[in-house]
Amino acid sequence: MRGWLRRKKTSVKDRMSHSSEPIRVREISERLSDNLAELNAIFTLTPDLVIRTFACQHIEGMVTLVYLNGLVDKNSINNNVLRPLLSHPEGEKSSVFDLLSVGKVSVAYDFRKVETEILLGSSLLFIEGRKEVLVIEANGWPQRAIEDPQLEAALKGGHQGFVETDTQNIALIRRYIPNRELKIKEMWLGERGLTKLSIIFLADVTNPEILQELEDRLKSIKVDSILNASELEEYIEDNPYSLFPQFLTSERPDSVASHILQGKIAVVVDRSPSVLIGPATFVSFFQNVDDYGTRWPVATFIRMLRYLAFLIATFLPAIYIALISFNYEVIPLDLILSVGESREKVPFPPLLEAFIMELTLEMLRESGIRLPAPIGQTVGIVGGIVIGQAVVQAGIVSNIMVIVVAFTAISSFIIPNYDMASAVRLIRFLMMILAAMFGFVGIIVGLMALIGHLITLESLGVPYGSPLAPARFGDWKDLFIRLPLWKMKDRPLSAHTIEEQRQGDNRPREDG
Amino acid sequence: MKKYTYNQLSVLQYILLIHGAQVGIGVLTIPRELAEKASTDGWISLLIGWLAATLVSLIITNMMKQYPEKTIIDIFPLILGKWLGRVAIALMSIYCGIAAFVLLINATGIINVWLLSQTPAYVVVFLFALPTYLVIQGGVRAIGRYAELVFYLTLWIPFVLTTAYREVHWLNLLPVIKEGWHPIWEASKSTVLSFLGFEFGYFAYPFLQKKQYASLGIVIANTLTMLVYISVIIVCFAYFSPDEIKEYTWPTLNLWKAIEFRFLERVDILFLSSYLFILSTTASPYIYFCVFSSSQLFGMKDHRKHLRLFLLLVPVALWLYTPSFIDLKKASQIWSYTGLFFAYALPLLAWGPIKLSKRAEGGKKA
Repeated sequence: MRGWLRRKKTSVKDRMSHSSEPIRVREISERLSDNLAELNAIFTLTPDLVIRTFACQHIEGMVTLVYLNGLVDKNSINNNVLRPLLSHPEGEKSSVFDLLSVGKVSVAYDFRKVETEILLGSSLLFIEGRKEVLVIEANGWPQRAIEDPQLEAALKGGHQGFVETDTQNIALIRRYIPNRELKIKEMWLGERGLTKLSIIFLADVTNPEILQELEDRLKSIKVDSILNASELEEYIEDNPYSLFPQFLTSERPDSVASHILQGKIAVVVDRSPSVLIGPATFVSFFQNVDDYGTRWPVATFIRMLRYLAFLIATFLPAIYIALISFNYEVIPLDLILSVGESREKVPFPPLLEAFIMELTLEMLRESGIRLPAPIGQTVGIVGGIVIGQAVVQAGIVSNIMVIVVAFTAISSFIIPNYDMASAVRLIRFLMMILAAMFGFVGIIVGLMALIGHLITLESLGVPYGSPLAPARFGDWKDLFIRLPLWKMKDRPLSAHTIEEQRQGDNRPREDG
Repeated sequence: MKKYTYNQLSVLQYILLIHGAQVGIGVLTIPRELAEKASTDGWISLLIGWLAATLVSLIITNMMKQYPEKTIIDIFPLILGKWLGRVAIALMSIYCGIAAFVLLINATGIINVWLLSQTPAYVVVFLFALPTYLVIQGGVRAIGRYAELVFYLTLWIPFVLTTAYREVHWLNLLPVIKEGWHPIWEASKSTVLSFLGFEFGYFAYPFLQKKQYASLGIVIANTLTMLVYISVIIVCFAYFSPDEIKEYTWPTLNLWKAIEFRFLERVDILFLSSYLFILSTTASPYIYFCVFSSSQLFGMKDHRKHLRLFLLLVPVALWLYTPSFIDLKKASQIWSYTGLFFAYALPLLAWGPIKLSKRAEGGKKA
């Protein structure tokens, strides 16, 4: 047992040191049969590996095409690789390279590269008598069509959401910013599940220090695999113990483009339909691209509503508990009497009552998410009618508590970012406990701790509390209120951009 | 040599840091203290106090200008030599520690009287210590940001206070100078102490980003504090009768008690709870500079170790001995005396030597 453990340990270590010190890799041999033997040795138990050897006499001799079935575009392989090679008329002089009617063809010299390329979906062409192999990019895998994003529904913006292929996602972003300054840095990550990351930014706007910081953090990650963007987020956060999300994730290309234009940096992770955006500030989780598409007074109103919702979702149950169990002298007599009447039959202390209701709600919510749509509706019925009404009639929870919890739930749905809304859910419970123990003093202490945390938190080295504290009054045009777009001449200071101005004087001409 | 460039304060943060340190417990008691000594002429004493504080603040700023990249505890060893300098640093740290301790136990006292009468004092202080730790561990910058944010969060207070204006009697304020100048001078001795907190000019100056605004900033901070005090005093004087006000320990809170809405009674409870914010901005700079000085004394770069120690020691101390009301008064008295020395006497004494030493240094260079 012990020996087994030790062996296991060393194997992990070996794998980790794999990338740092290169072991000798076999190079491509001139003899085709040697190469095929090596391939078979590498890819044992790989029934989906297709190896097709055929004669291409009048050009080169024997050639072998190798690819993983299902990761290639069959049409492209048939029409642009196999057909020109097989049906090339005799007598005409030409090389294999010229015959392939595929956009991107590169050359590999060793089996390490061959292995990765095959696994990533390229097709390889081995040629008898050559010490190199052609890597043909004819990838094609099961793909989803571009649809409306699930998590962030768009009211006014574009209705295209990101998909699971990074090249498509980058294309979607490029459609919004066709500018040569839009630069992309590619990076590969993961020891087993090799993942391509693309860091997208505007070279003449984004602060190079922040970019460097992000790159350094990404480079230091050594993991098996990154399955999605939020997973990556966890490895590069400034404060991993914080409840708050320190990067924005978005499924919408217009939202990502808007952030890039503000001077932020986006990271597209291959196989993930959401894109990471940093540096994020606390208030950026309450903004939405749709805000800029709505009339500015309306957008302002909606913004205010969101901040109010944040406060209600965080503090309302706590305030209710504090009022009922601690500081009841604050409520006028008539009101406290009617509250007392509804609580008459309830046997639990307010904290327990609130916990029962809040937990029920969270459970309903979680059960609704994973259930298939037809069953999902029953959850609503069970939750709304059975629990909501019966629980009050049975005298387990008071009427007012149901109102408070419902109001809190509605408020937490208004927060546009899922990660932030989840953070609020957890903070709410902490606040409820504090309120039950110390009343209003507890709530204020909780708020103080919240503020203390928010102002010391950073995202990619940029203060999270900006533009509130440190105050950057220039950014307040787009904070609680959303002024007309032509008034926001500069990029937000919170992103520390190197090019500040984003537009000239665009004030609409007035009459006369 | 720029030791503090990473931790920089904006001018607004500098102003609000000092203002935050000045406005604290004093606001709750000052109307009574002034009424006892100078009756309704207390507001004149306050102006005198403000003038004195502003003058001394300007001297402090001028003094710190000689060594723009150094805090007072970096300057001590330069002037006094290594050992005397260390003693001075220790004294400074002790002063800040006393101030912080007095503030904390006073705040706890008020909370115990008004809000949490059943909760033991050490629990309240411990509760208070948690968020304070979160803020102070971030250094001057975090305290500056905190002071900034708290300032916005307390902006609602004057608006609610205006509802008390319906019941004021302005005649209470008349006649002006009814008992001559003597009581006014007497009272200004205590108003001078209400402005304690400007001594953070000693510490905050090197952190300030735009040093040219240091003098202006500290004057604005003092003036802001004066405006807060004077508005509270005048409303209290006009609201309570001159004799009634002396009966309340915390007249400002009693003023809040009188405010009532149809959906909300006892606004004072909400007010006092949120006043914890203001109390925290008062205590946290003192705590920070106490542990900052002591860490420097022991040659430690990270102030967090001492901070944890300090924030644990206070609850432990209160657990061993819960101070009575009279103890609180005595403690405040001690702070006033030390404050008088460190904030008022020290700059007056040190200004000359620092200027001279700098001149001598300049002479050597030339």
